[in-house]
Amino acid sequence: MKRAAAIFFFTIALLTAFSCRPQKIRMPEPPQDRHVPFNYVATKGMVVAAHPLAAEAGLDMLKGGGNAVDAAIATAFALNAAEPFASGLGGSGFMVIYLAKAKKVTVVNFREKAPAAARPTMFTEKGEKQAEWRQERGTAVGVPGMLAGWNYALKKYGTKSLAEASARAVEIAEKGFPVSATFSQINKDEYEKLLKNAGEDSCYLNSGIPYEPGEVFKNPELAATLRLIGAKGIDEFYKGEIAKKIVAAVRAKDGIMTLEDLAAYQPVEVEPIKGTYKGHTIYTLPPPGTGGFHIIQLLNVAENWPLKDWGHNTPATIHHLSETMRFIFADKDHYDGDPDYVSIPVAELISKDYAKEIRSKISAEKTAGTYPYGRFDKVQDEKENTTHIGVIDKDGNIVALTQSINDFFGTGIVPEGTGFLLNDHMADFSTDPNSPNAPRPNRRPVSNMGPLIMFKDGKPFLVLGSPGGTRIFSSLSQIIFNIIDFGMSLDEAIEAPRFFSYTTEGKARPISIEPRIPEAVLKALEKLGHKITPKEPYDKYFGGAQGIMILPDKKLIYGGADSRRDGVGAGY
Amino acid sequence: MNMWRTLIANLIIFCGIAASSPAVQTAPPAFELPLLITSAGQSADVSIASMLAKKAELTATLSKLATGKDLENHKTLVLVLGASMKGLGSAGLDTDKEYERIRALLAEAKKKNIPVLCLHLGGEQRRGELTDKMIEEFLPSAKMALIVKSGNKDGLFTKICKEKNIPLVEIEKTLDTVEPLKSIFKK
Repeated sequence: MKRAAAIFFFTIALLTAFSCRPQKIRMPEPPQDRHVPFNYVATKGMVVAAHPLAAEAGLDMLKGGGNAVDAAIATAFALNAAEPFASGLGGSGFMVIYLAKAKKVTVVNFREKAPAAARPTMFTEKGEKQAEWRQERGTAVGVPGMLAGWNYALKKYGTKSLAEASARAVEIAEKGFPVSATFSQINKDEYEKLLKNAGEDSCYLNSGIPYEPGEVFKNPELAATLRLIGAKGIDEFYKGEIAKKIVAAVRAKDGIMTLEDLAAYQPVEVEPIKGTYKGHTIYTLPPPGTGGFHIIQLLNVAENWPLKDWGHNTPATIHHLSETMRFIFADKDHYDGDPDYVSIPVAELISKDYAKEIRSKISAEKTAGTYPYGRFDKVQDEKENTTHIGVIDKDGNIVALTQSINDFFGTGIVPEGTGFLLNDHMADFSTDPNSPNAPRPNRRPVSNMGPLIMFKDGKPFLVLGSPGGTRIFSSLSQIIFNIIDFGMSLDEAIEAPRFFSYTTEGKARPISIEPRIPEAVLKALEKLGHKITPKEPYDKYFGGAQGIMILPDKKLIYGGADSRRDGVGAGY
Repeated sequence: MNMWRTLIANLIIFCGIAASSPAVQTAPPAFELPLLITSAGQSADVSIASMLAKKAELTATLSKLATGKDLENHKTLVLVLGASMKGLGSAGLDTDKEYERIRALLAEAKKKNIPVLCLHLGGEQRRGELTDKMIEEFLPSAKMALIVKSGNKDGLFTKICKEKNIPLVEIEKTLDTVEPLKSIFKK
């Protein structure tokens, strides 16, 4: 009897032990057609980034014991090697960090600064050649903040050294990789700039002509630069031999940067701004990063509209949101600047009362016609550049990092022997010398970046960010509407067709639209008074968003990556 | 090695001509130097063509906005097909003005008996509504077409070249253009 009872209880114990074993998640393979929505699945950590090698670098860092900040920086370094046209040492960025233990969100701003010799008329005095001086000459280069920002975050919130964080990037740069169709196309589009500034023998060209898909891109000079920085620290970049090479390269192309500008550069840690949308809380960048605060504006205006009843990408939805974007652009032009120097009424702009005021100006029957909050630059940027990384680690720490060198391949200027491209972020200053965003000594140009972390019931729910210039805030808002209002999964929300509009000098511009939106909807919008500009079906004009969704009740993490660029997720 | 590459390039050209002409022994069109290289559509492919001409050691002038006057002292017009809104914008043109320019240029080339060599170097990625319309309008003026193969997946180039008896040479990738160019200009 005793023996039977012992066997019985042993069996029960055994069965209980087996049933309590963690269930292994079967990871499906991504589909061949990248446009088919696909959510990467993980249980412990996830990295989403615009290149598989970079996502892998981040994931390996997580698996090797690094935290979310370590992994984000490892991914960021790797993107310099694997996606050099969109970000790198010669650029800048912003990082939103959630520290799980402290339940605190913070922002690291490592945006470029204008050199001390910058003046409001420095571009307008070039007349017709202004665009070239803003984008391709030495005057286009802002003092790069990227490395200082990565270093700051690693030292304060990470656990790894610069050398450890950059190790995978060194490998990628040295061994090389076959370029994608995206890389090849962008390389071709920017060919003339690269030929002029980087030179025929540059690694950014293949025997003097652009890379074809599949050809191997190697950057041994970048590998050497990263090794040097890993060994000697960031002073080598801001005060040492690399600094001298940067200044020499900039000044050889008529730039105004000095060694003192580089030596003086410091990133800054700031409080995030906060907004809410239908019970969710959003933390994002304050100015000069404006993508985030314009997202909050757009969400505030839309919050009281019956988006779900109207339907996804119906005439009513697109009309109301496009009109809202136009009013927001009027604010953007009037208020955006470097908050260290200009006063920006952020709290008022992201208030629910102000949103109500904008809503009252939008008619369901027709376009407003004028959008009277200020002017906008005549030359509307078509930039699709920049790149975004999202990371969550096993302890729940999160990083949303957007970084850039502005136009693809930046200025095309490569400091001799260093392998990295210099930014053209001075082009983000206004062409109007009287604008709050005019170039002035040591000012940070306004940025459209808008990485964000969204919370639901006090817990992290969504991590999002995207490249795409002025379209960043509208693309990220649409992803949020797709998830919260239209019930889509993360990657469905990312892959869904997008649209965008803005104003110049108070007048509405056409709605740019991905033509996967039905013809009947476009006709209905035209009847309301809109002009429509169709883009490509999956156009990187609208960004290349990366996202992470956290589902604590299911103990799952989803990753979503945009097929408009080469985004992937990598989780475990 | 160079001799083999030249032989292979000549073979490719011969096969291209043979495949597109009804009579196998049609004489290849005569092209002479110097070249005037211009764009139809203002994509960066025109600068790539200029680099390829340089690699082939051909005397060439790059003039992205060439007009009839620029044909002076040139013996072949190289028209690089590929439209780019960014390129058109940078050049201060819209598509209508670009069409006007090319039409006038081709008319002048015809008047002066200057043969046209069409290039399409962007492959599959440099096809789209704008570029395709330019291919349909301007390719028929060519005496020969040299294209990256992936740009002809739908057979558009083959169709037009067959209809108009234009020798068509297809190459795998852009850098492969150098040897056929040398052969065409007998370098």
